[in-house]
Amino acid sequence: MIIIKPKAEFVVTVEAELTPDLAEKDIEEVKKFKVYYGKDLVELGELFEVVREGDDKKLVLEGDFSKVKWIGCRMAEGEIVVKGSVGANCGAYMAGGRIVIEGDADDWLGAEMKDGEITVMGNAGNLVGCAYYGNATGMNGGKITIEGNAGNYIGEKMAGGEIEIKGNAGDFIGTEMKGGVIKIHGSCGFVGGDMKAGEIRIGGDFELMPTFVKGEDGWSGDMNVKGEGVVKKL
Amino acid sequence: MHHALHIKNGIVIDPKNGVKAEKMDIFVKNGKIVEESELKGEDVKVIDATNKLVVAGGVDMHAHIAGSKMNTGRTMRPEEMRVVRNIANKFRAAIGRVLLTSPAIGYEYTKMGYTSVFEAAQPPIGALHTHEELDAIPMLDKAALPVFGNWHFVLKYVAEKEMEKLKAFIAWAIERTKGFGVKVVNPGGVEAWMYGGNVSSLDDQVPGFNVTPREIILSLIQATEELKLNHSVHLHCNRLGVPGNYETTIESIRLASKFSNDARQVLHVTHVQFNSYAGDSWRTVASGAEEIAKTVNAMDNVTIDMGQPIFGHATAMTGDAPFQFTLHRLTGSRWSNKDSEVEGGAGIVPIAYLPKNPVHALQWAIGMELGLLTDSDKVVLTTDYPNGGPFTEYPYIMAMLMSRKMREGELEKVSPFVQKASNLPAIDVEKTLEEVIHMTRSLPARILGLPNKGHLGIGADADIAIYDLDPLNVDTSNDFEKIYKTFKTAVYTIKDGIIVAKDGNLVEEYWGKTYWVDATGRVDLEAIKADLEDYFRYYSVELQNYGVEESWLKKPERIVI
Repeated sequence: MIIIKPKAEFVVTVEAELTPDLAEKDIEEVKKFKVYYGKDLVELGELFEVVREGDDKKLVLEGDFSKVKWIGCRMAEGEIVVKGSVGANCGAYMAGGRIVIEGDADDWLGAEMKDGEITVMGNAGNLVGCAYYGNATGMNGGKITIEGNAGNYIGEKMAGGEIEIKGNAGDFIGTEMKGGVIKIHGSCGFVGGDMKAGEIRIGGDFELMPTFVKGEDGWSGDMNVKGEGVVKKL
Repeated sequence: MHHALHIKNGIVIDPKNGVKAEKMDIFVKNGKIVEESELKGEDVKVIDATNKLVVAGGVDMHAHIAGSKMNTGRTMRPEEMRVVRNIANKFRAAIGRVLLTSPAIGYEYTKMGYTSVFEAAQPPIGALHTHEELDAIPMLDKAALPVFGNWHFVLKYVAEKEMEKLKAFIAWAIERTKGFGVKVVNPGGVEAWMYGGNVSSLDDQVPGFNVTPREIILSLIQATEELKLNHSVHLHCNRLGVPGNYETTIESIRLASKFSNDARQVLHVTHVQFNSYAGDSWRTVASGAEEIAKTVNAMDNVTIDMGQPIFGHATAMTGDAPFQFTLHRLTGSRWSNKDSEVEGGAGIVPIAYLPKNPVHALQWAIGMELGLLTDSDKVVLTTDYPNGGPFTEYPYIMAMLMSRKMREGELEKVSPFVQKASNLPAIDVEKTLEEVIHMTRSLPARILGLPNKGHLGIGADADIAIYDLDPLNVDTSNDFEKIYKTFKTAVYTIKDGIIVAKDGNLVEEYWGKTYWVDATGRVDLEAIKADLEDYFRYYSVELQNYGVEESWLKKPERIVI
């Protein structure tokens, strides 16, 4: 296990693809890991304190990481625990393992993730489990759980996996969704625009596009794109 | 700096000069191929090409590498820009998956041994931008073909049967756009598109003008021939991408039979794969390639290029806006419409060719059929980049043309629809290495009317590619993997006598020429002056601001005829 703490408050964002693979490296090597601080390429050790404890494949990030982007990007196994908030793109392209965020997550959480598990104790931003601009497919496996609220554009172009939001969410949920499940325990805005397949289940109030057809226990659509998605009460 | 070069012991294939895999030495001085005696007393750099294939640099006569639609494509496809090919250091940063940035286009062609590439559709009002973008492409010699088939002046002069004025206008327009020749895209159809329509045959009336596509094509061929332009009319046929269009294509090809030219064809029909569909819907679609190949083989004044699709990502972009709209409706993919209110039009649609998709597999098979069944002296190897796929896969097409065994392997991976809808599985033609070298070098150079390109004779431009392949000891039918690998990366790429790439690594950044054709001396520009002034009174720019000055180009090469 490796514990990483910021040495000071960051003025600009840090781009650091920190994955549990680092925990298998020698501590001096970890300190030399290259990250971007603004436009400058620097070593991890210049910005963060790094301490090793035991040798399991785990990263513990202590402190405020809300300006640190790309944590857990492309990780395939192991565990990351963030004792604070994280920046954008956390868990992007993730293929396995587990990320636990005790604070809040920023936008693009788990974007295009393939497998694995992300849990956020606080709130999440916009574009959870989305496709990056221009790509056809968002999240297609794994699970994202958000204990608090989330923003707009949740699960856009999602093709598989599950997103569960215990609180409320914003507008445009499951837009162009092609598969997978989105569960929202609270309320949200517009749901299911151009949805082709998959399932959205909502506990509270929501607004549905007029292009959905009411069935026995829910709605299906979006008829606009001959979709067969399902929107149901939770 | 120009070095004198001595390329030693290479095995040369030079179809234009009848050199069939002969061991010989090539000498280069001041960017030209010269006799050995000229190198006396020079500081000569010797390149050992023992048992390696030495050929002229590749010439791509139809690709989309610059201009407004290329840039719109890049804007529309941020996902294409995530592939980093070259980080800026000694050379410029180069990115792009299939839709490359300008430096990446220059670098990737160079690594493959290509030295000249022609932009095949330039909207005239976008000429300045097109040239600025061409000037951002390193290494290569370039030129652009402005589009004529839907320009008001062309339609007007054709309708009025004013051949002298048409010729004057073509000469004026090519000079103003610093263009190279006459490109025609869906003649009449793009004008009809400005009113939401299209044309469906060679005899449809173009809205607002008393002309038909047939008359436009015939008049443009006649004008081009009378002007004696280097390149013939370069035609993108009507009804592109529509099942049943092969008949229109054959009809268009036959229009050339009224004309003749001793030096070259009088009509080049481009990316013919997209115009070779039989059947009457996408359910009954089949290959019409055999009929088209027969028609082309029977004529001595028409050439074509393949427009071969490559499985994987591509971006459809043509001056044929109505077709692009159809494609967008068919695939549900993003769409952009361009330049509709000016002298042409354009559309852009992202696309991916999937082997298991019956239509895509058929398109792939048709491209191959055209390449195999057409006489090697009449068909050029292209993908219509980026419409059919990346130019970086030219070696795949080269290997496929030479190996039936490779085609059998590939056929197993594609939709079985190909088996009944095309003849590809039954074709056992295997092109020789010499034929494929001709299709990628000497033939496109001849079609474009560039006597110094595509060969290694004395006086030719010293554009040379050396590959790690011994043509005397290679079995092209069975060693297709080696062929593919070899043509992907040239051992040496030499441009104007300068080594620009070695073993796939860039050695030096070099700026190629931009060819343009000046035919204004052959016409009376006064004849169209009043018409131009009248038209530009209502145009988006003033007449005196229209076009590109030669001094604005980085390295212009004016061809006066």
